Amino acid sequence: MQALETKLLGEIQYDESAVIEFPRGLPGFDHCRRFVAVRLEHTDPLIFLQSLEDAGLCFTTLPVQSVDPRYRLSLSAEDRDLLDFRAPRPPVIGRDALCLAVLSIRETGTTANLLAPVVVNPRNLRAVQAVAEEPGYSHQHVLKAAEEVAVCS
Amino acid sequence: MLMMSRRAGETILIGDDIEIVIAHIGRSRVKVGIRAPRETAVIAQEVRLVRDENRAAANGAAAAEFSGLVARFAAGFSSSAKARR
Repeated sequence: MQALETKLLGEIQYDESAVIEFPRGLPGFDHCRRFVAVRLEHTDPLIFLQSLEDAGLCFTTLPVQSVDPRYRLSLSAEDRDLLDFRAPRPPVIGRDALCLAVLSIRETGTTANLLAPVVVNPRNLRAVQAVAEEPGYSHQHVLKAAEEVAVCS
Repeated sequence: MLMMSRRAGETILIGDDIEIVIAHIGRSRVKVGIRAPRETAVIAQEVRLVRDENRAAANGAAAAEFSGLVARFAAGFSSSAKARR
């Protein structure tokens, strides 16, 4: 086990075999290639993506299906190659791919980036932040209040 | 905005050292080739949106009120998720 003192989550422990690799980094953070996904009991279903190269960098994310149960993943051929998805059919969220929406927490409210979800292949732990090929998803999708979510579904 | 019609294979020049080639025209997408000096950044507009959004997301995480927000938000979210079942 490795330990890392992080700014947001305090000390975390992780196994090298659980490290998620972003071969291209993320837009704006091209140099950050290695992350771990941290889940805390009291903040479930949030998943924190903590950078191993920058202890101060941690993205707060939600599985896209918690934000939009009907979310449709569209991956470019290049991203599919990078993640090593070889099947001709598109990867299924939750089965073939872990798909996370990055949250922006502002004083005015929290938004989720559905335009460019982080897509992880759980079999090889490779990941990309994939800009959707199909238009229609916002990079600032407003998270509905809990009551609204319950009413809508 | 200047509008120009071009066929596949035709080129547009911007200034002396930027060249844009319409490489392929598909049903709903166009493939464009761009030749520009190394110091000129060429990115899709959505990538810039995502870059700016990532920076905002990283700053949000660094904010002092973050942990409180997360705790409140997660509590509301998970209780609503349970209520749905």
